[in-house]
Amino acid sequence: MILQTKQLTKEFGPLRAVERLNLEIEKGMVFGMLGPNGSGKTTTLGMVLGIIHPSAGSFEWFGGQRGSNPRRFLGALLETPNFYPYLSAEDNLKIVAQIKRIDKPDIDRALEIVNLLQRKKSKFKTYSLGMKQRLAIASAMIGDPEVLIFDEPTNGLDPQGIAEVRETILQIAQMGKTIIMASHILDEVEKICSHVAIIKNGRLLATGPVGAIINDDILIEIGAEDKAQLQGFLPTLTGFSKIEETDFGFLLYLQSELPTSSINRAAFENGIIINHLRRRQKSLEAEFLEITNQN
Amino acid sequence: MFKLIYTEWLKWNKQLIFRIVCAFYLILLPSVLMLGKKLPELPPPIGTTEVMFIFPTVWTYLGYIGNWLCFFFFGFFAVISITLEFNNRTLRQNIITGWSRQDVFLAKFGSIAALSLLATIYYVLCALVIGYTHTDVVYLSKVFQEGDIIFRYWLMSFSYMTFGLLIGFLIRRTVIAVFIYLIYIMILEPVLRWGVHRYFWEHPSMHFYPMNATEDLIPAPLSPIAEEFAEKAGFDLFMSPFEAIITTLIYTTVFIFIVNSHLKKADL
Repeated sequence: MILQTKQLTKEFGPLRAVERLNLEIEKGMVFGMLGPNGSGKTTTLGMVLGIIHPSAGSFEWFGGQRGSNPRRFLGALLETPNFYPYLSAEDNLKIVAQIKRIDKPDIDRALEIVNLLQRKKSKFKTYSLGMKQRLAIASAMIGDPEVLIFDEPTNGLDPQGIAEVRETILQIAQMGKTIIMASHILDEVEKICSHVAIIKNGRLLATGPVGAIINDDILIEIGAEDKAQLQGFLPTLTGFSKIEETDFGFLLYLQSELPTSSINRAAFENGIIINHLRRRQKSLEAEFLEITNQN
Repeated sequence: MFKLIYTEWLKWNKQLIFRIVCAFYLILLPSVLMLGKKLPELPPPIGTTEVMFIFPTVWTYLGYIGNWLCFFFFGFFAVISITLEFNNRTLRQNIITGWSRQDVFLAKFGSIAALSLLATIYYVLCALVIGYTHTDVVYLSKVFQEGDIIFRYWLMSFSYMTFGLLIGFLIRRTVIAVFIYLIYIMILEPVLRWGVHRYFWEHPSMHFYPMNATEDLIPAPLSPIAEEFAEKAGFDLFMSPFEAIITTLIYTTVFIFIVNSHLKKADL
């Protein structure tokens, strides 16, 4: 077990930012914490990283086997990249290595992974936002920690920056590291993570493997001139979990793969003239909103 | 402990304000004293300016200049060494990276203790060089007649910086914190002592304020004014060195305690 939280709670006055949160993160997971802005993701990470005191509950890193200060065995960035603006990338990483008590840090390698080696002598304040974010990732890599924690790593980046950061995180994941990543972007979690916890208003709504939580249902939009006749016909078809009425006709939730041509043929054989037939994947955003709205 | 202080050194040694603060201290400490050569003479009964440069009085004159420099430059640096960490959010990053809150505490107080030590060593060197080059006949007993002033100098510098760290930790915002640091020492505490305390109770206890005690560790060499005050008030203008040391130690301990408990509890 890498990290376990038990009933973790944080109150800021009357506001409950995190409420009785139970998480279990195991070795090798790429664990996404997904939730809208202000859902308590950063507060949760702040607590497990020792900068915010929990109001109640507890957490434990590495099953308690790394002593009282396990943060030296983690690599983490929280919210914005925080460095000394007047120091170069190299000097900033030297400080990180000192704090982690690493005598001979491989700073060049860390900078190379995030493609910043050419700029290692430049002051942090001269960096673009994307470079700052990448330096934060390099900083998290110092000392080759088993666990990396990223909080909204692509926040504020342009599309190229987003692609670069995601690519870097995927590379790190392939090295077999455990990664914990907070994000409000569903697509990002789906592309990068193996496991996900969905959090809203400080509460855990769902957790498990990404495929199990966020399933990419296939939907069929279907419409006919005679809507009543179509409504009578649809229940005779098999392989659907749900039928929903919409503006254009109906929406079918497919359980297994079924070509639209066979639906069309069956309808035609029953004397129904289809005027709208379209196959689409359920949008992930819709799925996410569904989970968060149900609660 | 050494590693913690070294990490602080890595943070600051390339920072412009730190370099300016150190440069000002190194240049101004001896050169302000040497400006005394331009003075025709000191007010009676001292007369000649020679006392500023010869043993053992060179310690007091140079020390009093150092008193102002430490208050102004090192105290100011202590304040911003905390507030800039809050502004850049690097203090919380230090903890995320792996320091415990105790490490942060030890790093900060360890480095101001070390900086005070370096400032004191420089003060001793300057005093020795100036003293030896201006005293006609040097007796070793005269050189270190008031040797405890060396410890008092270190404590003075450490106390200003401790107060600076306290203000920095509590206020967190650079401009306001620096403003409060300067206003408290230069205006608020003197007004409290001379305006309020003395008005209600003219008693030596008016001296027992934290920054006054720190200042009195190396008081201004103003014997005529001090004598005049003592005659009128019935007690001395300055605390005795012993009183100043004890008072400063007590306040400094309290400030360190406040910073430590604040740092333990605060969300960063």
